[in-house]
Amino acid sequence: MTIRHQGQQYRPRMAFLQKIEALVKDMQSPETGVRMQNQKILVTSIPHAMTGSDVLQWLVQRLWISSLEAQNLGNFIVKYGYIYPLQDPKNLTLKPDGSLYRFQTPYFWPTQQWPAEDTDYAIYLTKRNIKKKGVLEEHEKENYDFLNKKINYKWDFVIMQAKEQYRTGKERNKADRYALDCQEKAYWLVHRSPPGMNNVLDYGLDRVTNPNEVQVNQIMYYQQALMRSTVKSSVSLGGIVKYSEQFSSNDAIMSGCLPSNPWITDDTQFWDLNAKLVEVPTKMRVERWAINFSELIRDPKGRQSFQYFLKKEFSGENLGFWEACEDLKYGDQSKVKEKAEEIYKLFLAPGARRWINIDGKTMDITVKGLRHPHRYVLDAAQTHIYMLMKKDSYARYLKSPIYKEMLAKAIEPQETTKRSSSLPFMRRHLRSSPSPVILRQLEEEAKAREAANTVDITQVMSKLDRRSQLKRELPPK
Amino acid sequence: MAREECKALLDALNKVTACYHHLVLTIGGSADSQNLREELQRTRQKAQELAAATGAPLTTALRDKGLRAEERAEFERLWVAFSGCLDLLEADMRRALALGAAFPLRAPRRPLVRTGVAGGAAGVAARALSARALRHEAERHFDADDLRELERDILQVGTMIYDLEMKVNVPRWTVQARQAAGAELLTGAGASSAGLVSVEERTGPCDPSKALAATVFGAVLLAAVALAVCVAKLS
Repeated sequence: MTIRHQGQQYRPRMAFLQKIEALVKDMQSPETGVRMQNQKILVTSIPHAMTGSDVLQWLVQRLWISSLEAQNLGNFIVKYGYIYPLQDPKNLTLKPDGSLYRFQTPYFWPTQQWPAEDTDYAIYLTKRNIKKKGVLEEHEKENYDFLNKKINYKWDFVIMQAKEQYRTGKERNKADRYALDCQEKAYWLVHRSPPGMNNVLDYGLDRVTNPNEVQVNQIMYYQQALMRSTVKSSVSLGGIVKYSEQFSSNDAIMSGCLPSNPWITDDTQFWDLNAKLVEVPTKMRVERWAINFSELIRDPKGRQSFQYFLKKEFSGENLGFWEACEDLKYGDQSKVKEKAEEIYKLFLAPGARRWINIDGKTMDITVKGLRHPHRYVLDAAQTHIYMLMKKDSYARYLKSPIYKEMLAKAIEPQETTKRSSSLPFMRRHLRSSPSPVILRQLEEEAKAREAANTVDITQVMSKLDRRSQLKRELPPK
Repeated sequence: MAREECKALLDALNKVTACYHHLVLTIGGSADSQNLREELQRTRQKAQELAAATGAPLTTALRDKGLRAEERAEFERLWVAFSGCLDLLEADMRRALALGAAFPLRAPRRPLVRTGVAGGAAGVAARALSARALRHEAERHFDADDLRELERDILQVGTMIYDLEMKVNVPRWTVQARQAAGAELLTGAGASSAGLVSVEERTGPCDPSKALAATVFGAVLLAAVALAVCVAKLS
């Protein structure tokens, strides 16, 4: 079975072939077409030959163009194989003199875009081999040997078919045979051009989609895109400018960093002072928490401080829930089911130890989604809690004594100058920082301890309730 | 034996495919006519019959599990040739459909391309159908109906190829051709073409002149030798 190429039908850059075809069809008309004459070969006379000058004249008259343009157009027509020269087959140009040309049969026209298959070429070369008794041209011989290797399995078929086609050709009269041979030769000159001749059918890559066809889903997509609400570029640009202005002082590249850039001075103080959960954070870091809520939440030290504040306000479960949701989203997905169940037991179930306060609709959606837990199943609840913290607790936190104390304690490191580290005596010992694996283990242990020790208001209240209930029950005894 | 039968059928199919190809070459050209379309149709029908007839024994042979290795190799070789014929036939049929639609015989405003091929192809069709001569007996609106039939035939051949491929699994890379490159020159197929060669090649007319020059030179040489001998004898 031959391999059918799927995407090789769309060659829009070859659209001019259809135009040439229309022109060539026009040339056929016996009254208004090109003047024909007979070609004499020894004793036979083959009709339907025309001189180059006749063709050029016809083009000039028909299309009302100058002879230079007609010459160019005529060259195209010959190059692409619609007309082939009879006397000088390898020179595919339209000579404006008496040299003869003939039309190519429509089977061999390139407009049809039928690929010139290897098998066909092999059959043609074999036929030529038979006719010329083994005396082929250089490139033909090379191609013959190459094809023999390439489609060796088909070679019996090729030889069989070539012999048959050769014998069939003899059923025609001599003039027809000659014309047909010339035609086939001209076709293969165009489609498998010998070295030295321009390969005119080389048009680059094929397209997979047809650019002339109307793409319905593409149109729908673009129509929907038009209907989407867009932000004015002035607004978004203003946002970027504001952000840059606000954060440029925090940017280590734009405005330098204190105490000094470790890459330059070999002084690792910068990293030590800005460690994740350092005891005393830098002033710049603490000031950054006041810019907006996401800055506070992103910074681990900020989260720690905020958690401390929330505990005082008896709403620590909010941040705990938020952190648990983040862990579910970005953590180990193989444990999604267990994690989701734990979160439900701890935060969402009625009467849970750290019950969070979300509205009924969100609770409904979340509980329903928890039947088939996945990464984003708690998104709605998490957003609700996040907004609650942002709108409510955050403002109070910034005014709270905890934050103010943090701000007052924050250090402002002194700038250290570039110390010359070339002296071997003064070289500081650079220790490597603790392995991230160990750091993570310590973090997890700390988290577990926290979780075990957290006593939330609901638990306390429920304990008090139970105690008072027992007390009430006891006296009647 | 089954193999000879298959080979004979395959040869017949090969011949008909070659004839069909030859006929399709001239569609749309100056040799196109009602007769040509009719010949095409007959050849095509014959080809389809032969294809079905060849496919059946080949399929049964190749599906037979108890076949010996070299017999299987033989049948696989035949199979490759058979599928090649079918592919060529289908491609030619598709082209015939496209060309037949592009060059309808009825419309006077679309004249046929003057390709220089004027004679009829009756001999070719007769060869295909293994008949002595061909009688043309078609109605007026033959080509329009013929095109519809041709479409159906193409689909039929397509499904036939698909079915055959599904039934029999012949890996092409294991098949080795028995005939080497250049084997076509060994038989007498090219011997009778000497006359034609002289017509087409430009070196044709030169050969007699070359022969003439050779004989003249030989004559002069002989004369010189004779003179030298006389001189030697006299002196």
